[in-house]
Amino acid sequence: MESGSGPLKKTKGISYAKWGYFFIAPFFIAYTLFTLVPQLMTFYNSLFMNYRDGLTQVGPTFIGFKNYVTLFSPDSGGQIGMLKYFGNTLALWIMGAVPQILIALLLAVFFTSYRLNIKGQPFFKAVIYMPNLIMASAFSMLFFTLFSNVGPVNQLLVSSGLSDHVIDFFSMKITVRSLIAVMNFLMWFGNTTILLMAGIQGIDQSMFEAASLDGASSLQTFFKVTLPLLMPILIYTVITAMIGGLQMFDVPQVLTNGKGMPDRTSMTMVMYLNNFLTTSKNYGMAGAISVVLFIVSAGLSLFVYNTLSKQYK
Amino acid sequence: MKKFIAMLLVLVMVLSLAACGEKKEEPKNDTPAEPTSGTVLNIYAWNEEFKGFFEKYYTVPEGVTVNWVITPSDNGAYQQKLDEALLAQASAKDEDKVDMFLAEADYILKYVNSDATQDITKMGVTDFSNTYKYTVQAATDPNGVVKGVSFQCCPSALIYRRSIAKDVLGTDDPAEVQELLNSWDKFNAVAADAKAKGYYMTASFAETFRVFSNNATSAWVDKDNKLQFDPMINAWIDQTEEFVKNGYTLTAGIWDDEKNQQMFAEGKTMCFFGPAWYFNFCMGNAQDPDKGCSGDWAICEGPQAHFWGGTWLLAPAGTDNEELVADIMNTFINNEEVCSKLVSDEAQFSNNQAVNAKFASDPNYGSEFLGGQNDVALFAGMTDNIKWENHTIYDQLLNEGLQTALQDWYKGAIDKETALANFYKYVSETYPAIVLP
Repeated sequence: MESGSGPLKKTKGISYAKWGYFFIAPFFIAYTLFTLVPQLMTFYNSLFMNYRDGLTQVGPTFIGFKNYVTLFSPDSGGQIGMLKYFGNTLALWIMGAVPQILIALLLAVFFTSYRLNIKGQPFFKAVIYMPNLIMASAFSMLFFTLFSNVGPVNQLLVSSGLSDHVIDFFSMKITVRSLIAVMNFLMWFGNTTILLMAGIQGIDQSMFEAASLDGASSLQTFFKVTLPLLMPILIYTVITAMIGGLQMFDVPQVLTNGKGMPDRTSMTMVMYLNNFLTTSKNYGMAGAISVVLFIVSAGLSLFVYNTLSKQYK
Repeated sequence: MKKFIAMLLVLVMVLSLAACGEKKEEPKNDTPAEPTSGTVLNIYAWNEEFKGFFEKYYTVPEGVTVNWVITPSDNGAYQQKLDEALLAQASAKDEDKVDMFLAEADYILKYVNSDATQDITKMGVTDFSNTYKYTVQAATDPNGVVKGVSFQCCPSALIYRRSIAKDVLGTDDPAEVQELLNSWDKFNAVAADAKAKGYYMTASFAETFRVFSNNATSAWVDKDNKLQFDPMINAWIDQTEEFVKNGYTLTAGIWDDEKNQQMFAEGKTMCFFGPAWYFNFCMGNAQDPDKGCSGDWAICEGPQAHFWGGTWLLAPAGTDNEELVADIMNTFINNEEVCSKLVSDEAQFSNNQAVNAKFASDPNYGSEFLGGQNDVALFAGMTDNIKWENHTIYDQLLNEGLQTALQDWYKGAIDKETALANFYKYVSETYPAIVLP
């Protein structure tokens, strides 16, 4: 990164460029040490057979891309695990993220609207942000207890006569996935709202005034003024939410006790990765999943960035 | 900048010196008691059961601090924690070394058959004359070296609700109930009767798992490390399928709240299976003073003899507290007073035959929880049938994993084939060394 240090000629004045590099250097050093090197190491490790059998270490033995082949070969049930868990992750993310971004966008518009001029904004902002302060695992435990077969939700449903039998929320794909989506939504919509509000506040107020002088309706203002100008922030929000979503782990892991029940339909890619790390310490397979996860995240981020930003460039 | 770095270096040096200082000072305070005794005794366990007994009945020498490292055993978490500690044992500081750890029957082999544990006879634990044979077998490696002791013996009984038995079977007398439930055919037939009267036979689909799996004639993996289903495991799957289909059992897991709620007085379940530690340590709901039903319980042998669990104390190689650890082990198997207390005050079935025989023949001894029944007498008669065979280092997670995978099927989410496919996936992730069929 240390470029631009050509032969110094005292007569030519002082170049401040090097100071720029100097200032950004800490990030690049930290990035190299804590992200780039581990990433390369992960890839390197994924080429080895390396696990523990009881207290005995097996490997590391170089096996080339065999871990990747295993990862994408169908199992005895004819399924390719990796694809299933990728699908699960995507479904869980979309179920949570779409309402999250829509509601956050709506709230952000309300909160920043000079027409509505909502009173007590700091209070509401604090409240919607609150769920994010709870540890995800505690939040999941809470939901697990609430919705378990002997939990208060079932007791309420039965005693109020809404249901004549106990509903086993954790035996149905749709309910488990919905619970996970609701939790992720609750935890993150406040955060997104605040980001989007900052984005909207960064838009010149005179734009909104001009729009209303020209007789634009609220909807028109939103779609023709707010949304296009908000696009950079919105893309950022979607991409960060997506990367977070692909790495979804804590909520489903704790809610389903690592089982991803029923039928592994709420098992995310990182939970799958974790399965290889807990007992078997299978660094080879876990490494291979990490690499695939990285490629998928990068690919999807590029795709989202390109499609969303194309028309507003 | 330089000043700052210099300051930082000075700070680091001072702190590291201070840290060293602390370490070196400690041994001076040590009373010149035992030469091989470190000041910190690290005990690894997965629950508070033994900790409770230890704190009540064992007095550690002055100057020794006992440090309990407790990790729940769910999903193998305890084994992971323990493995990391044992593999780092050689390089760990004396006060961080594992000095003693607890292990269950399901995975004791993993530690017994490794160099991570040491010969306890060399440490001074030599008298096994009063212990039950299988408890020593379990802790003996293939070369005949004994690596640990158990403080309990765990023949497992059928634990039933007296009031429900009276309603369904017409009697609550242990001998008569045993007569009516002494085979699986009778057990299954009674389940139908119980259902007809509005009761559940068992509260978990996995309730009878141990009875079957413990009578298996082959281990989970064969000599080529290939996974195999013993006919007994298949028999359990068939029985459970029947029980779930007919509503004889709940679809709760063996440790689920839903099952435990059935132990309250208002519960509708007749049978539970478990050894002494089960009803004194895991049936808290039944002993609840308000909602429980202490005294409304009794035990009999049930359809098949089996044992379940049990806690062994093992000595890891490299402990700096050898004498102390040996003394603890001796106390919990050979100290008559302590073993008697375990039986009389803690409702344990101790690993001391003489002590158990004393209670078994005592006409005044009876368990309040079991309505005055002498549980020790019953258990003492069952110990001969306990066999220690067909175990592997993988048992805990294979047993757990099979139950988890099948639960989805029992709950109606998937079919049997998918459930078994999920079990194989679990096995390949958890134990890459196992060859799948």
